Amino acid sequence: MDGKQELAWDGPLDQALEHPVELRGIRTCFGATCIHDGLDLWVNPGEILALVGASGCGKSVLLREMILLARPTAGRVRLFGEEVANLDAPAANRLRRRIGILFQQGALFNSLTVLENISVPLKEQTDLSRPRIRDIALLKLRLAGLSADAAPKYPSQLSGGMHKRAALARALAMDPDLLVLDEPGTGLDPAGADALDELIQDLHQSLGLTVVMTTHDLDTLWRVSHRVAFLAERRILASGTMAELSESDDPKVAAYFQGPRARAARSLEWNRG
Amino acid sequence: MPPTGAQVRRAARRKDRLAEPARLEWSKEVRTLRLLGSWTTAALAELGDLPAGVGPPAGAVTIDGAGLLGLDTAGALVLHRLIERLEGEGISARLAGLSDRQGDLLELVAARAEPPSAGIAEQGGPRPGSLEVLGRATLGLAGEGLGMLSFGGAVSLALLSALVRPLRVRWRQVLRVVELDGVRALPVLGMLAFLLGVVIAYQSGVQLRVYGGNLYVVDLVTITVLRELGPMMTAIVVAGRSGSAYAAQIGTMQVTEEVDALRSIGVAPLDLLVLPKVLGLVVVLPLLTVFANVAAVGGAMVMSAMMLDLSPEIFVRRIPEAVSLSSLMTGIAKAPVFAVAIAAVGCYHGFQVRGGADSVGSHTTTSVVQAIVLVLVLDAAFSVVYSWIGI
Repeated sequence: MDGKQELAWDGPLDQALEHPVELRGIRTCFGATCIHDGLDLWVNPGEILALVGASGCGKSVLLREMILLARPTAGRVRLFGEEVANLDAPAANRLRRRIGILFQQGALFNSLTVLENISVPLKEQTDLSRPRIRDIALLKLRLAGLSADAAPKYPSQLSGGMHKRAALARALAMDPDLLVLDEPGTGLDPAGADALDELIQDLHQSLGLTVVMTTHDLDTLWRVSHRVAFLAERRILASGTMAELSESDDPKVAAYFQGPRARAARSLEWNRG
Repeated sequence: MPPTGAQVRRAARRKDRLAEPARLEWSKEVRTLRLLGSWTTAALAELGDLPAGVGPPAGAVTIDGAGLLGLDTAGALVLHRLIERLEGEGISARLAGLSDRQGDLLELVAARAEPPSAGIAEQGGPRPGSLEVLGRATLGLAGEGLGMLSFGGAVSLALLSALVRPLRVRWRQVLRVVELDGVRALPVLGMLAFLLGVVIAYQSGVQLRVYGGNLYVVDLVTITVLRELGPMMTAIVVAGRSGSAYAAQIGTMQVTEEVDALRSIGVAPLDLLVLPKVLGLVVVLPLLTVFANVAAVGGAMVMSAMMLDLSPEIFVRRIPEAVSLSSLMTGIAKAPVFAVAIAAVGCYHGFQVRGGADSVGSHTTTSVVQAIVLVLVLDAAFSVVYSWIGI
């Protein structure tokens, strides 16, 4: 399936689809400074959406508002068609179960082994038997590209890339419909970042996930994302495929996507075919 | 019997589960296993074992997935294990009714799943025997003792060099310690000392009144407070309040690699993190002790006035007769020693932190316990020394 053609990129919101994430008129203020004002964004099912923007423009805050960790000052957040503003705790938990999150620093629990880390959501959210949880956790470990040797290790014994993969395995533990990645490539060497990109594409294809990620990595943007939303001036200034955005006439968008680094990343993508 | 926490949680989960539980149905006539319900992570818990009758005599079995409401990787894994088991018993399984997506998912899971027998090596191997535990504990204690000794040596050297070159000491940091650990400790310390004085005066007053020795309350309170309880209680309060903070602060910096960053910039962590704390506490603990002494004697005075009809005027006039200056000084002389011990133990345990949040917590606890124990041991040592030299 070539999702790039099938999905409507920038058209009006299709009411027939159940959008994993739908943000309307989001306004986020810390004291007197507002970082979002009148922001609209939605995520189509099955797409990989990348959220980009300058450092400090509020990407991570926006992600946190999507995953029920923070509340916007004003505006509507809908997840899988449900309004989150007045959900009770069990309903919110039910939604959380459908979302897997890879935090920027991995956020593995340091006192637990990798396998125990992956088992935590399964133990807390399901009534599966111990052996079955273990079996599932091992599978997730393998899906995230780690071998079973990593299972009994503690997070402090892992390299940066393995740490990220273990955290990804935990994000996948409950078979989420929506995978949220906050800067997945940071702290990895280029080879490691490439491998993680491939892994994300792989998982997206084989598991049919919807992915939302923030990233600064232009290679990742070209290779992985179906759609890119550019956050600036407190709202989504532009959204579209990388090719569209890199030909944009808007000076702000052009400055971000047509700098020397962006051109290099693009030619690399072309050379790859 | 009231339901256990686990039962309550399970019931709550069952209530908010949307998916229909996964089930297996066996029809003997057509030798078909029907997969029913939703084979997803949250709905798998009630899936039982293979229905009776599926086993040998061997023969082909059809697994029919047409009735599946959903399949995710966990469900696919369970299905994969089921097929493996059938094949292990010599029964060939034929899949039918799965959608393309579900078939792909099953294939992916089959490719990545561990073989069922593959065990993972448990961390650390078999449980150690009691002799090994004892040996390790002894070695650990010895190592800790050596570590503390060498840390104490390093701090002493740093203190010496600070004496030689006092301008290199970070006096601003020292002043911060004086404010945070001295000035801000006044309210809690004052209250505790006041209550201590009240209690001692009350308890001794009850006894002394029987013999008409009301006035001797003053002797009793001032001597015990000035020589022993004032310095000791101040040290214990500061150990709990500041020693723990030192361990947690340095420990967290250790976790976030800030200590290494300091080293790499060319700042000795000892100079920036430890020395100001030691010097600050050495300055401030004797002052706190004097304050605590005053508050405790004040508490005793209030209690005496209320219970023993001993007016404050008589109480104050009795103090110089009851207690000599040397009693006050012997008490205060202990404070700087306690200060060094508290600061050094707190900082030492901060630097011992390895790994993460867990380690910070456990080292903070150890630092407080050890600091308090050390304060009491040092206090006993002081008593012995004072009795030798006869003051």
